[in-house]
Amino acid sequence: MRSSPGYIWIRCAAIVLLLLAVTGHAADYDRALPGYHYQFPRDNFDHPRYQTEWWYYTGNIASSNGHRFGFELTFFRQGISRRPNPSPWYVHDLYLAHFALSDLTGGRYQHAERINRAGPGIAGADAAQHAVWNGNWRADIEPNSQQLQAMTNDCRMDLRLTPVKPIVIQGRNGISRKAAGVGHASHYLSFSRLLTSGSIRVQGVRYTVSGTSWMDHEFFTGSMAPDEEGWDWVGLQLDNGTELMLYRMRHKDGSVDPFSSGSYIDAGGRSTFLASADFSMRPDGDFWTSPHTRGRYPLRWHIAVPRFGLDCTVTTSLDNQELSSRFGPSYWEGAVTVQGRQSRALLRGVGYLEMTGYAPGAANIEFP
Amino acid sequence: MPYLCLFLRLIVRPMLREKTRSLLVLFAVSLGVAVALAIELAGDAAASSFHTSLQTVAGEYNLEVRAAGGVPQSLVGDLARLPWAIRVTPRIEDHATVAATGETIPLIGIDFIAHANDPDGARFSLPQNTSIFNDINSPDALWVTRSLCDHVGGTVTLLINDRQHAYTVRGFLPSSAQVSGDVAVMDIDAAQQATGKRGSVDRILLKVPDRPGFAQWQQRIRTLLPPGVQLLPQGSETAANRRMLAAFRWNLRILSYIALLVGAFLIYNTISVSVVRRRAEIGTVRALGAGRRAVLLAFLAEAAVFGVLGSLLALPLGRFLAGGAVRLLSATVNALYVSSRPGPLALSTGSMALAFVVGIGVAVASALAPALEAARVPPTEAMARGRREYDVRVERRRDAVLAVLLALAAAFTSRLPALGGKPVFGYIAALLLVAASALAIPALITILMPVLSAALRRLLGVEALLASRSLAGSLRRTSVLVGTLSTAIAMMTSVAIMVGSFRQTVVTWMECQLPADFYLRPAGEPGADRYPTIQPGLADRIAKLPGVAAVSRFRAYPLEYQGLPATLASAELDSPQARQGTEFLSGQPSSVVLRALATGNNTIVSEPFANKHHVHTGDALTLPLGSRAVPFHVIGIFYDYGDEGGIVLLARSTMLRYLPDPAASSLAVYLTPGADLETVRARIREAAAGTDVLLFSNGEIRREGIRTFDQTFAITYALEAVAILVAVLGVAGALISIVIDRRREFGLLRFLGASTSQIRGLILVEAGLIGILANFVGLLLGYLLSLILIYVINQQSFGWTIQFHWPVAVLIAALSGVYAATVLAGLYPASVAQHLNPIEVIHEE
Amino acid sequence: MTDEFKSRNAAPPEERGLQVPPIVHSIVSPDESSCSFSSSPPSGNVGPVLSIEGVTKTYTTETEPVRALDNVSLAIEAGRFVALVGRSGCGKSTLLHLAGAMDFPSEGQVVLDGVSTRHLCEGELTQLRRQKVGFVFQSFQLLHTLSVIENVELPLLLAGRADPRPAALHWLAAVGLADLAYRMPHQLSGGQMQRVAIARALVHGPRILLADEPTGNLDSATGNSILELLQRISSECRTTILMATHSHEFASAVDVVVRMRDGRIEEVAVR
Repeated sequence: MRSSPGYIWIRCAAIVLLLLAVTGHAADYDRALPGYHYQFPRDNFDHPRYQTEWWYYTGNIASSNGHRFGFELTFFRQGISRRPNPSPWYVHDLYLAHFALSDLTGGRYQHAERINRAGPGIAGADAAQHAVWNGNWRADIEPNSQQLQAMTNDCRMDLRLTPVKPIVIQGRNGISRKAAGVGHASHYLSFSRLLTSGSIRVQGVRYTVSGTSWMDHEFFTGSMAPDEEGWDWVGLQLDNGTELMLYRMRHKDGSVDPFSSGSYIDAGGRSTFLASADFSMRPDGDFWTSPHTRGRYPLRWHIAVPRFGLDCTVTTSLDNQELSSRFGPSYWEGAVTVQGRQSRALLRGVGYLEMTGYAPGAANIEFP
Repeated sequence: MPYLCLFLRLIVRPMLREKTRSLLVLFAVSLGVAVALAIELAGDAAASSFHTSLQTVAGEYNLEVRAAGGVPQSLVGDLARLPWAIRVTPRIEDHATVAATGETIPLIGIDFIAHANDPDGARFSLPQNTSIFNDINSPDALWVTRSLCDHVGGTVTLLINDRQHAYTVRGFLPSSAQVSGDVAVMDIDAAQQATGKRGSVDRILLKVPDRPGFAQWQQRIRTLLPPGVQLLPQGSETAANRRMLAAFRWNLRILSYIALLVGAFLIYNTISVSVVRRRAEIGTVRALGAGRRAVLLAFLAEAAVFGVLGSLLALPLGRFLAGGAVRLLSATVNALYVSSRPGPLALSTGSMALAFVVGIGVAVASALAPALEAARVPPTEAMARGRREYDVRVERRRDAVLAVLLALAAAFTSRLPALGGKPVFGYIAALLLVAASALAIPALITILMPVLSAALRRLLGVEALLASRSLAGSLRRTSVLVGTLSTAIAMMTSVAIMVGSFRQTVVTWMECQLPADFYLRPAGEPGADRYPTIQPGLADRIAKLPGVAAVSRFRAYPLEYQGLPATLASAELDSPQARQGTEFLSGQPSSVVLRALATGNNTIVSEPFANKHHVHTGDALTLPLGSRAVPFHVIGIFYDYGDEGGIVLLARSTMLRYLPDPAASSLAVYLTPGADLETVRARIREAAAGTDVLLFSNGEIRREGIRTFDQTFAITYALEAVAILVAVLGVAGALISIVIDRRREFGLLRFLGASTSQIRGLILVEAGLIGILANFVGLLLGYLLSLILIYVINQQSFGWTIQFHWPVAVLIAALSGVYAATVLAGLYPASVAQHLNPIEVIHEE
Repeated sequence: MTDEFKSRNAAPPEERGLQVPPIVHSIVSPDESSCSFSSSPPSGNVGPVLSIEGVTKTYTTETEPVRALDNVSLAIEAGRFVALVGRSGCGKSTLLHLAGAMDFPSEGQVVLDGVSTRHLCEGELTQLRRQKVGFVFQSFQLLHTLSVIENVELPLLLAGRADPRPAALHWLAAVGLADLAYRMPHQLSGGQMQRVAIARALVHGPRILLADEPTGNLDSATGNSILELLQRISSECRTTILMATHSHEFASAVDVVVRMRDGRIEEVAVR
């Protein structure tokens, strides 16, 4: 990141996004409040009344000969202005997208990001088109299947995702709270188990892949509290057909916010809300320091949900899965494996771990 | 070693002995080379600037999407969503006039947000803790080159179309953007708003991957685009403009070589004189054992010395002249072709090599004939001065016959068609004519001189007798001198006639083409490729004013047709007044054709367009309009002198069907009979308050047109002037050598009672006679050359019909100027002759 | 013009007397007789046509000053035919140039037909030459671009005289070349060229004819005929002739032989 006295390059736009998020006219937006009435498939798409929205696809997939990959494809929408303006070039929202491919077998991680305005069809999240897209990265969301497409100059991914379970509305009363106080919450929807098949091409090699994916869709306005620094999140798909989602909000002093929560989805698709008292989630060593951002991430986590007899360890086979962003805060988002027990039975699983707020300069992370 | 010795003896010593003369020839040669070099440099600078100003903050792309009237912006999204790793960059490309300076600068609108994705895109310098996104929705935010405004927060008022607006500088284009001249950049949204181009963009740049291949990509994307939209290799517009500019540059380059051609005459003269003068010496060195080849080489080396030194001098001189040339040139390029600002003048290795190749080449080539003659001098030569002249006299008849043959060849060659779009044969015909006249000059002098001398003797006395006899006596030298000067004069005359004819043609055309009482166009310097608009409401407001009978809206868009730039225009032909004025090649009345134009998909095209694209009345023409490709029927070809690329003209109603933008590029206002011009002018001004439009009365717009015309040809005049200067310098140099050669004669005359003023008068009369002869021959040759220029070269490279016209006043002024300069050139030689010591020179052998 | 010129420039006798060197070689003319060459009898002042009084001429060369004439005094009466004899470089030509008002002496004065050249300006010298001096050169010095008659007319033309043709024809006839008047010089033989040159030198009726080795470029027969012509001119029209020659052969043909050596007059022999 080059800089010269008095002036900086556009590469430092990260700060700006923050600035926009902070100084944006919160009054123009609704906050995530209890009692939201969800409508599907409409609520799978955009909610311009909320300032921030994302569609987060992560998954563990492997080729038939056992080459394992993790992927992340995320679409962000950040409200900039709600002033009425008929021009498609007028920037009502910024659309960002992250695409990362973790070659777990090959030990390589690559990622790309892009930023766009809606423009004349350049990016968007449109119920009429059943799609969320940023250029040619897109998710076509149909009731019974979702189609993902993303590409860079040297890799390409085309996946078909089939939900095994119905959509989960996380949290309680339609909101997933992040801190004390009204509005520090998001509307949070998950497809916790999506059967995945398709192809990826990396460095000229094409793999036919299959596996499971997770999709989170959140929309909110300023969900984090000022003293919160970041969060740690896991979405685990266990081999007994259940899924576990947990997040913990971290304060600047290192303490964990009591509004951290999660959910347990049983094999039948029924979801149980987990309050912070219901689980424990703590780093368990294996710290890794990013050479890019100097962020220090714990790569081994211990998780226990006594209510369901769950006790397991989350580890990764690839340390560097940090998405160092030019346009927004950097974070670690990577494929993980789970090993442990549930009520004495051996338990295995896969999932994704997300850790934000570790990279310096990304304090007060609101976004993403 | 013997060669060196020979060279020193035969060449260097005489050269040093006649320092002034050698310096004059050297300067003339270097001026000739310098002019050629300057035009080359200035041409490069003008062409390169065009390239860079549009490439501003563009990064690397390989395809571009364009459409007449703008690319529908929905295509941006369509292309961005294509499932291939293609980078898609929409751009608004327009011009703005800086209110403070009147300078017209490129105004570029880019998607600042998507721009951040481009790893190669230019980075903007911004104040700390801000970003381009801060002002993303501000319609007033502007990013500029530092030369335009040097502090963030400063205000730059721009005139865009017919509106002035103050913009706030938010940051600067990085120096890495390699921008030549000032540039303003806005976000695409603000730019669309400022330029009134809602709904479309001017260009979409595409970067496709290397594989499977450029052609495959082009084909793949082409099928996805609407038919009217063009997919072209990136920079093809630059290339198209370059192609169009090529003819102009080519012709200019040829003009720039006139001075060099004149210089070649001078070298020929110099070397011939050295050979004649040193025959005895040559005989001696031959007797001493020097071979023919050695003598030949020695004289070629003399020429080469002039070439090398001349070229060397030409480098700084050319660089200096290029500074002036580039201003004139870019004025022409702006007025005729494309908005451009001169790029940096770069004295590249290539251009330096060119200078040397041209300088030495021309010098050696022009020395070849006299050097061969020198080589033929037998060792036994004991040379009598009269003999050589006698030879010339004998060859005179043969030369005259040859001249007639060459003139016939010229007549034949001028009938040949263009070669690769360039009027090669026209120029060959011109060269043949020049050669013919050079060969005919000895015969002409022998015929004219007695007449002249008889006439002059009565007027000027004995000096005239002596001068005319001396000139006729040294026929060869006189011929070369007259040839040199007359060639320069002929070039000047021919170009003056061509330009004068063109000018008169344009004046006549404007009288017919501009029937309206008032014209309005957006303020700012007009340019061939700029199409600023007047907001739609103004025409309606003016039409309702008392005293106004009709308002005709004219709209122009840039069009690329078959790889060449052209103008797509529409005119409102509803009122009968508006249907007057256009003259058609077919001679059909304007009102008939224009009434037909208003119906169906009919079009008329201008003469240059018809010539460039071989379009005839009755042909079908498929035009890309917006996203559609529409077939049109050509119902007429009209005379036009305003647009070199050519115009395709539709009725306004037709155009609006395909390109619905109602804004006009200019308005023609017709008054009701009896309406007072000044009253209506005041009313129009009032109606136009708040917009920045220029209002011209009929007379004013014609003057404006002529001003632009004259500006366009400024560089031509400058080139002519240099050629004349070279010739006059040559005459001065030659007169000095005449003085040196004939010093004994001057001494004798003093013994016979001549006063010093008579000697001086003698030289001046000789200069005057050379001037008269050269003017006579030059005018004659110039007339013939002007015919080639007008009917061959102009037709083949520009395709304009020019009515022949003698620009009498200009010619009289120019020719008398040249004549005065020639006589003045005799002043120094005359003073040399005046101060010769007769006693010393009378005994010299 | 001429009168004014004289009165302004002729020095008073006393003053002139002071300049007279101790030895004056005085050459007295024979009796005046009618001249068949001349269309108008030469008018003259009383006294010598040419008077060279204590003249010294120094040239500055690149290396050192050269004394071309060293205190030379000579007076030539009207009508005399005088030969200047000496080796080349003895000062003959310099003397001729001074006599012909082509140059100024470094010291002393030259009085040409009563007019001292000492105080004359360039233009006045030219005037003097036009009226009183005719030159003949060793190498004829005809202008090749002019016809014979035009060459002869030249002094009259330069002097601005109208209608020079009759005089020129007269003099061409006098030198026996009337039928060659319209030839070009390169069509003539050497002797003919020199005759033309002589006609040219006489056409304006000069008081003195200055001939510098007039036979030098001719074979002896032709040279003799030229000499005869000069003799006739001298005797018939009383034109004073000062002829430089390095040959002693012609001494017998002239009235006076002035021998020069190293810039001085060695001997004056009056025949």
